[in-house]
Parts: sequence; C-alpha cells; structure tokens
Amino acid sequence: MRILIVEDDVDLSRQLSESLKDVGYAVDIANDGEEGHFLGDTEPYDAVVLDLGLPQIDGISILQKWRTDGRKFPVIILTARDQWSEKVAGFDAGADDYLTKPFHSEELLARLRALVRRAAGHTTDSIDIGTLHVDNRAARAFVDGMPIKLTSHEFRLLSYMAVHKGRVISRTELVEHIYDQDFDRDSNTIEVFVGRLRRKIGTDRIETVRGLGYRLMDPDQGSSEE
Amino acid sequence: MDESKNHILSRDKTSLVMRLVRSAFLWAVPFILIAAMIILWFYRSSTLTLFDDPLDATVTSLIASADSQLDDLRTGEIISLTREPLDPRYQQALSGRYWLIGQIYRDGRIVPLRASRSMAGESLKITARNADLLFDSPGVTLRARTIGPDKEPLRFAARMAFLPGLDDTPLAMIAAADSRPASRAILRFTFLAIGLMSILILGVIFAVFMQVRIGLKPLFDLRKQVVSVREGRDVRVSGNFPSEIYPLANELNGLIDHNSDVVQRARTHVSNLAHALKTPIAVLQNEAEQKKLLRSSMVRRQTDSMKKQVDHHLQRARAATRGQTIGALTPVKDIVDALARTMPRIYRDKNVNVKTDIAKGLVFRGEKRDLDEILGNLIDNAFKWTRSYVEITARNAPHDETMLEVIVIDNGPGIAEKDYEEAIKRGARLDETTPGTGFGLAIVDDLARAYKGYMHLSSGRDGGLCVSVSLPRRVYE
Repeated sequence: MRILIVEDDVDLSRQLSESLKDVGYAVDIANDGEEGHFLGDTEPYDAVVLDLGLPQIDGISILQKWRTDGRKFPVIILTARDQWSEKVAGFDAGADDYLTKPFHSEELLARLRALVRRAAGHTTDSIDIGTLHVDNRAARAFVDGMPIKLTSHEFRLLSYMAVHKGRVISRTELVEHIYDQDFDRDSNTIEVFVGRLRRKIGTDRIETVRGLGYRLMDPDQGSSEE
Repeated sequence: MDESKNHILSRDKTSLVMRLVRSAFLWAVPFILIAAMIILWFYRSSTLTLFDDPLDATVTSLIASADSQLDDLRTGEIISLTREPLDPRYQQALSGRYWLIGQIYRDGRIVPLRASRSMAGESLKITARNADLLFDSPGVTLRARTIGPDKEPLRFAARMAFLPGLDDTPLAMIAAADSRPASRAILRFTFLAIGLMSILILGVIFAVFMQVRIGLKPLFDLRKQVVSVREGRDVRVSGNFPSEIYPLANELNGLIDHNSDVVQRARTHVSNLAHALKTPIAVLQNEAEQKKLLRSSMVRRQTDSMKKQVDHHLQRARAATRGQTIGALTPVKDIVDALARTMPRIYRDKNVNVKTDIAKGLVFRGEKRDLDEILGNLIDNAFKWTRSYVEITARNAPHDETMLEVIVIDNGPGIAEKDYEEAIKRGARLDETTPGTGFGLAIVDDLARAYKGYMHLSSGRDGGLCVSVSLPRRVYE
C-alpha cells in the first residue's frame, strides 16, 4: 500500500512516514501544496494524508482539484482546524475522513486502514484467502494458523495482493503501490519478491497470468473464482 | 461593564424635541405678547385721538364764539355764543354729548354760566388735580375723565379762556362725551387681539413641534436603524440621510465594521496561536510514542497537558468573543444541511437515518461559527450515540417570538434524568475533558447562555436523548 503524506511540518511528516513504514506502507512525502498536488495527480496512491494549511496551494484546493480530475483515492485530512464548518468544507471538498491535531498515531493508522479497507470493499482489517490469513492491523501473515516471517517489502506485496485478492495485478501496478517514489523501480525486483513470497506462503497461492501479472488466490478454490 | 457604561452615559430627562419646543416657546411667547401690547396701545391711542378730536374742535369753537354780555336783560345769560356747536346731540337731554362754559374752582367744582341743553341743568365736576392743571396751564387743552349728568363715564376736553369784560375771571370751556363706545371698541379689540395672539402662539408652538419632528426625523430613523442592527434585524445602518446625519450613520457603520473586525482579529489571533501549537504538540506526542524514549511517559504526559491547555484556552477565547459581534445573522437551514450532509460521512460505519425539519426563513441572530459549534456538537453527539436515526427540528420558539428552538433527537441509550446535570457539567470543566469523549453538551450550554438562550435535556420517544436549545432569532417586522 502506498500512502502520500502532504504536510509542511518536516518533523511531523517524517514521524508519520516512519509510523506508516513501520506497519508496512510505502510512503511519499510532499512538504508543500504544489508538490503534494503534483504527486497525487501523477502517482496511484492507495490513500493520502492531507494537511490543510499548506504553502503555495491549500489542502482544500488540492483536494478539489484531485476530485475534479477524477482522482478517487481515499483522503484523510489531518489538520489543526477543528471547527465544524471547516470539517464540513473538508468533506464537501471530497475528504473521506478528518482528523484534528494533535492526534495519537494509533488513531491515524486505524483510520487509514479503515479507509484503504473500505476503498477495496473489505469490512475488516484481516483478509483470509483460504488458509492464508493476512492481518493488516498487526502487519503479520499466517498460513494454517502459523505466523510467517516476512520482510517489510514482502508484507507490502502480500498485503496489496490480499486487498485485491482474485484480481490480476500487473507488475507496474505492484511497483507503483509497493515502492515509494525514491525507490529504484526495477520491475525485475518484483519477480524476486514474488518468488520469495511464494516460497514462504506456498507456490500455488500466487498465480502468474502470462503477459498480465500476478493473482493471489485460494489454491483449493481454483483460478476461476475470486 | 454595565457599571462603566453608566459612568459615561446618563439619560437627560428632557427629550430633544421638548428642549427645542421649549426654547421656541421661550422666545416666541414674549415676542408675541410684546407685539400684542404694542398693537393694543397703538389702537387705544388712535381710538382716543379720534374720540378727542371733535371735543377739541368743540372747545375751540366755544372759545371762538363766546362773549360776555352782562347787560343782556332779555335772556339773563352772562355768556353769549355767536354760534352754538351744531351737533344735534347737544340739544337732546342727557344724550352723552355735552358742552359747558363755567367758572371753575380749585376744588374742581364748576359753576356753569352757559351749557348745552343736553346737560339738562346739571353741572360737571372734575378732580381738584385736573382743576389745578387747568389753572396752571391756561391755553393748554386738558383731556381727562369725569362722571356725566346721567352718571355715565365721560371723557372731556377743557381749556381756560378769558372773555372780554370778564378779564379777571378765567372761564373753563369744556366739551365732554360719553366714553363708553370708545371703551367698548378698545375692549372688543383687546379681546380680539388676545384671541388672535393666543391662536398665533398655539400655532407657533405646533409649527415648531412639527418642524422639530420633521427636522429630527432622520435622527429618529437613525435611532431605529441602530436598534434594528442591535437586535439583528439588519446587518448595517442603511437608508437615505441628510448631510448632517450622513457622517454619523457612516461612522456608526464604521464602528460596526470595526467591532466585527476586532472580534474577528482576536479570534484569528488566538486561533492561529493555538493551531500553531497543535502541530509541535502532535510531533512531540508522536515522538514520545514512537521512540520509546527514556521518560517518554513524561513527555507524553506533558504533551497531553499542553494539548488540554491549548484546547481550554482556545475554547475560552472563543467563548469570550461570543455574541459580541453586532448584527450577525446566520440562516439555520444552511448550517443544519451542511452538518446533516457531513455527519453520515464521519460516521460512515453506522447506518444512520437523518431527518431534518427546518422552518422556512429561520435566521439565528448571532455568529455563524457559534451556531456551527452548537449544532455540530449536538448532531455529532446524537450520531455518536444513536442506534438508527437522528431527527433535527428547528422552528420559532412557541412561547417567545424573539427566540428560535432547535431540537435534536436520537434513539441511543439516552441519559438518565438524574445525570442531566452531570452531563452538562462534565464538559464544562474543559480542562478535565478529553477531546472526543465528552458530550460537548457543556459547550452548547455555554454558548446558548452567552446568547441569553438555554439548553434543555429530556428523553426522546424511543428512550434516546432529546436536546432542545433556544437561541435568539431574527424578527421580521
């Protein structure tokens, strides 16, 4: 899952980035409105954390532009402005959630998880694909009830595929949603990660669809079902 | 604050209208009275001159035509007249018009030597003082009053004259006439003049009163406008004012703008300060959470405390400026619609059915952000606790035409009646309230009170909470 943080306070954005990376998100940071708008406009994020009081372009305007241009990723507004009228304006501009500063990082993480989950059509943080259990909240995965050890990148890959289970996901999409902006985006590394993940969760759980990409599936139910 | 107002402002018992009318009265009435007296004096002297002139002529004619004839045995008269005065009234007994030639004494007695037939054998008597004046100024005509032979008031003209043959005895030549017609004319005129002057005075007072009312109308209009702004029927002073009042109206609008600017600036200032603090607090809080620093619990405690202080002072600063802006008006429907649109998004995991019923044209007489906060907290609270529905009703208050009433009902667990007070108090102690866990009802209660309204808690029909809040509304005239 790839998250964009648009926040002008360098310390806060760094902290948020660390918190999110700790639980398996790929994170990009924009410290002003213009860069934030540009990134949101060009990169396929799974969710955006957006401050309102930003240099150059304010958060509400950025959000309105994104929505006008058809960007549908969930956006959580993170701001010091706590008036009801400001919340109304935020939601009216297209926000999916609104969190006021100061906040506890657990709350932000919980809300982000809920947004991403809702956007993918899930009702809980845990996703089961047959005997594979992915717990996005704890950033852990289990096979037959046994925990499996995954690196941060492996978990991101698994988590993204779990959220979109049954759907064929291209390498490009995986690259875009698993790595942050600064990562060396070589799609061959995806193959390496997929190979390692197969070894850990079972080779038949990730199907390669030739020329299209990969699909996470329940081996007991076959490839034709979701 | 009220006390300091009283120190500066006191009310004069007299109104401006009465002052102007009274001052006009003070100059107009004496002027009119003096004018009336001059007119009366002039009329009286004219009337008397007209009255006296024939008497003077008679006296002159008596002097010219009188002669002594001590030896005339036929008539036995001492004085003869070559020509008697012609007026027929001299021939008619007690007609009120008389002439007389006689010997006068210092005590005023007159012994007639010759008299008009109208005297009917009677004589006249003048005062000793008039007699003296005649003796002392021979040749000068004296005009005075006396009583006639028929006891009527007379006005007479008299002059002393010496006749040939009687050189040692000056004789008084007197012509007199009943003065009552002249007195009556003067009296009639006096009454007429007094009547006319009274009407004139009343007219002047009425005209002044009307002039003042019309003249001061723009001032009264301005007063109405200011009241209207104060009561929230208008936002600013508007209308067509004369050049003397226009600058005042302009200044008043300036003052209203300034007031709202000051409130706005104070709010912005405190809000900026608090918001600026919030991000560093968030940073510190997160740092304490993430890094598991030595004494991180202390950092977290401190940041929590800082956060509470910021919230507390922000709330207080907002409360301090509440209800201060003059003339602010906020349509209720706009706020309710916005909140009813937003709340389901905030509580998107809950399937809440929202029903709103807002009276048409209902306008809150106060600041938008205050109504935002009142309704935001009420509706948020209802959403937080409800099981399935939230109903929002806003209408004119049934028993007070200056107030509106907002009722928010949910079907959550509600609050036991004995806990109502506690529910309000809990939030009131802002420094002990954790954000998001209080009811927010205390803020609503505070705000309603700031606007001289109230908040009332009761039980909803399905056991949930029913909160009604009364607030001032715009009154249409």
